Amino acid sequence: MLDSKIPEGPLKEKWTKHKSKIKLVNPANKRKYHVIVVGTGLAGASAAASLSELGYNVHVFCIQDSPRRAHSIAAQGGINAAKNYPNDGDSIYRLFYDTVKGGDFRSREANVYRLAEVSNCIIDQCVAQGVPFAREYSGYLDNRSFGGAQVSRTFYARGQTGQQLLLGAYSALMKEVGKGAIKLYPRTEMLDLVIADGVARGIITRNLVTGKVERFAADAVVLATGGYGNVFYLSTNAKACNVTASWRAHKKGALFANPCYTQIHPTCIPVHGDYQSKLTLMSESLRNDGRVWVPKKKGDTRQASQIPEDERDYYLERKYPSFGNLVPRDLASRNAKLVCDEGKGVGATGQAVYLDFADAIKRLGADKLKERYENLFEMYERISGVSAYKEPMMIYPAVHYTMGGLWVDYNLMSNLPGLFVIGEANFSDHGANRLGASALMQGLADGYFVLPYTIGDYLAGVKSGQTKTDLPEFAEAEKQVKEKTDRLLSIKGKKTVDEFHRELGKLVWDKCGMARNDAGLKEALKRIPEIRDEFWKNVNVPGSGTDLNQSLERAGRVADFLEFSETLVRDALHRRESCGGHFREEFQTPEGEALRDDNNFCYVGAWQFQGVGNEPTLHKEALNFEEVHLAQRNYK
Amino acid sequence: MCNLNQYFNSSIGKKQIVATTGLLLILFVVGHLAGNLIIYLGPEAFNNYAKKLAGLRPGLYFVEVGLALVFLTHILVTALLIIQNIKARPVGYRVYGDSGERSFATRLMPYTGTFLLIFIIWHLFDFTFIDKHGSRSMLMGHSYGLFGVVYNSFVDPIHSLLYILAMCCLGFHLGHGIESFAQTFGCTNLTSTPLIKRISYYSALIITVAYSSIPVYVFFSYPILK
Amino acid sequence: MPHDPLPNLIIMTKTITLTLKVWRQKSKSEKGKFEVYKADNIDTDMSFLEMLDVVNEKLTKEGKEPIAFDHDCREGICGACGAVVNGQPHGPLDATTLCQLHMRNFKTGQTLVIEPWRAKGFPIVRDLVVDRSSFDRIMAAGGFVSVKTGSAPEANSIAVAKKNAELAMDAAQCIGCGACVAACPNASAMLFVGAKVSQLSLLPQGKIESKERVLKMVKKMDEEGFGNCSNEYECEAACPKSISVTNIARMNKEFRQAEVDS
Repeated sequence: MLDSKIPEGPLKEKWTKHKSKIKLVNPANKRKYHVIVVGTGLAGASAAASLSELGYNVHVFCIQDSPRRAHSIAAQGGINAAKNYPNDGDSIYRLFYDTVKGGDFRSREANVYRLAEVSNCIIDQCVAQGVPFAREYSGYLDNRSFGGAQVSRTFYARGQTGQQLLLGAYSALMKEVGKGAIKLYPRTEMLDLVIADGVARGIITRNLVTGKVERFAADAVVLATGGYGNVFYLSTNAKACNVTASWRAHKKGALFANPCYTQIHPTCIPVHGDYQSKLTLMSESLRNDGRVWVPKKKGDTRQASQIPEDERDYYLERKYPSFGNLVPRDLASRNAKLVCDEGKGVGATGQAVYLDFADAIKRLGADKLKERYENLFEMYERISGVSAYKEPMMIYPAVHYTMGGLWVDYNLMSNLPGLFVIGEANFSDHGANRLGASALMQGLADGYFVLPYTIGDYLAGVKSGQTKTDLPEFAEAEKQVKEKTDRLLSIKGKKTVDEFHRELGKLVWDKCGMARNDAGLKEALKRIPEIRDEFWKNVNVPGSGTDLNQSLERAGRVADFLEFSETLVRDALHRRESCGGHFREEFQTPEGEALRDDNNFCYVGAWQFQGVGNEPTLHKEALNFEEVHLAQRNYK
Repeated sequence: MCNLNQYFNSSIGKKQIVATTGLLLILFVVGHLAGNLIIYLGPEAFNNYAKKLAGLRPGLYFVEVGLALVFLTHILVTALLIIQNIKARPVGYRVYGDSGERSFATRLMPYTGTFLLIFIIWHLFDFTFIDKHGSRSMLMGHSYGLFGVVYNSFVDPIHSLLYILAMCCLGFHLGHGIESFAQTFGCTNLTSTPLIKRISYYSALIITVAYSSIPVYVFFSYPILK
Repeated sequence: MPHDPLPNLIIMTKTITLTLKVWRQKSKSEKGKFEVYKADNIDTDMSFLEMLDVVNEKLTKEGKEPIAFDHDCREGICGACGAVVNGQPHGPLDATTLCQLHMRNFKTGQTLVIEPWRAKGFPIVRDLVVDRSSFDRIMAAGGFVSVKTGSAPEANSIAVAKKNAELAMDAAQCIGCGACVAACPNASAMLFVGAKVSQLSLLPQGKIESKERVLKMVKKMDEEGFGNCSNEYECEAACPKSISVTNIARMNKEFRQAEVDS
């Protein structure tokens, strides 16, 4: 059993008490402590800026050319907070409850409560940074509603909330870089974690422009490297999103928790060709005003406008009258799959459903809709060539977010002392399913308001300046990184990196996507090692390792996906229940809803690496629900 | 202005110096035009104006030196900016298709500017640094002073055409210049920009037409006077 | 229950054939040149970057090195991608990044000249990849509000006029791609800097240090070797987020006021 180090006391007081008891580092000594932050998304940038403001000596790494490009930037809809500005009955408790329920009771209560508690500070912080949130004519902040909640608690900046929040965090980061307090390493990829005496001591990186492999040592390492959605090849993640940093930390001993909890976003633009490189998400906020439907008749090829009202099936409104189109993401996605499987899907592939704005335009006028979703409608038209003001959008679910990640305790520290994991890279707050507008909240909560406290507690207990890179562990890790690079370059096979990635992605999507079953998962477990073996024999990575080589970068990441995917599938196979983003066909209610097994699976499944291809060891962290009554989710 | 050096060294500072000197030059151009238009009141009035202006010396020298300084500043600072701009793109594009946002006047700025410089030098030798009662002032056997000089010059169609061409250059230069002044000093915003563009366009047009009307008037009135 | 494989697509699609003239340069110090490639059977539903992917797959299979280009989100928001296509940054479509430009905007038989951003402030890293860290340095010089984590007041304690909030948001949409610099005849970065200066000075939270900010950011911008603004507005036309040049005007005003008052 894993110790989550949840503080004692009533839920509502845990964080406050914990903060007041936490050990502190003397301000004069903080500069002596070196902290490495890998990744500059919401979590990484906010953590780096906050740690630097506290006085720590911070080194920041990102693979993009600028920290501002991290994929948090693509989040559209908004960020939740329990401000209760609309006076509609919201509270910290309600946000906490909605998040636990939305996560299908597979998250850690104490973490979620803390998340809801600090959510309000995030809004304050971002406003002070100059984030231009939407406002009402009064000049005060505007809110909108979002899936999985019956209150309006989502703050937004048009359809670019992620961008604005990230630019806020980035500006805070650059403020510290400008002062010389943070050393920034862009276009630098972390390729290994260095562990000495069981403690995280530093990282090995590759400069993506010069190919130089370098060692960096620190008193603590913070991973903020995002999720692993690109294991499916086609996802809404940016092309560079990868599991490499997390996976290599896992191979050094960090536990990987709940990898099978992957979120499929219900409103994405459908796949249109096999050259397709990524899928584009349309913000879930569209479901506020759009109505989801398919024709009642199977194989109906008429145009949407030709189908009369009584021949349309508004299936979400029909099945879930009280939440309607605003049911949580997993339900919205799975229902889209169900109707398409029944042959009612629309579009050229039959793998799409309509999201119709005609009623909203009638009710609110096209201008109001334009004000709310202008950039989303433009984006849709640019990609599909169709105007959603005139015809309904076509949407289909796509992989979007991964709730699983490296296991962390209440202090966001992994099982390896000195290794902290924040944001999407950890597993902690969303359980089996994340609610809309909660990813931004978690990333910033971790970075601004949790890690700066908890990392101090750890650092206060260790001697500062443990930053020697001449330890044998560094030499060994560096050697391995170089060998791996050389090996990838030397194969010179016949298939490209992307071909392998596509093959893996299709397999994982087919067998471990929106719906999973025992046979399919077992088949995937058989196929993945075969693809992996072929990869190491037949991949073609052109160019050299001493300059900018994008094929080589991708090859390294795909190699890790080929190992990681096996753990993902194993986790899905072992979890013989359905919950949130993990839907096992064998375990469903007669109405086709996810059927949890709280007696046997009310735990966090954290895997320990035992070598490539070997079955990892499962460690469990029991989930105790003291505040929330375990119940089957009901959005009817 | 506390830190003049920093201001001058900055790109925006330099631009604002060019804009300010440009505005002063526009004021001069308007004043000059007002004087020129006196020609329509007849030779006497025009020559009286010239005489009165000459009578302002030596005070006028100060104004002239000031004007020359403004003019030189306008040119030299622009030259500095152009050099910086060339340096800012050491390797050019193989294909550089602009998007159509740059107006014709904008694109012509360096050329209209250079042409105006040449014109002004010629213009000074043509009308300013000459004997105003010499051979070029003679009309029908009498000296008509500066009026005569102007008249004799514009009777020559090539001379007039060159002059009108220069005025067109001036028009284009101002067409961008006035609007550019507003932008460089931050007087533009989403609502005022179209208005400023119109003001810029029409003032440039009026100045060009008004200046150009003089040679045209002279040319067509020539047979009558003769 | 049936599985849900990626649909096997049998869609009638339109394809085109293009000739690409692409700038190839191995590194910052080496000389570059144009190379010609044929792009056959390009589906018009592809994005421009997917077209480059297809060309790169072919080059890789032929044992050649693929064309390096920056890209990440492929949904027009990260600002990583960008190249000059036939003289136009991000290609011919208005308000569209290269990743969102679809091949239906081109005709079969067309020749596309594809070049990197060219500016002293953006040295070439490789092929179409340029180093835009100058933008980061400009941001580090002053593109922020100096508020520390934790010291912010309650968010609704300061009202912001909706009009100003909207104008700030208009400016804040900048994705830092550098197309403004690429399009400017003078390789000026005024639109990028003007947008950030505007955004923060329009909001009461950023107004307090606006003078210091504009001076520092402009100074850094000049040091980085960008050209001067000559009010040609090519930047606005090229900007994939249609950021207005009135933000430059606002910065000019801020700058003058800051200099006069300092």
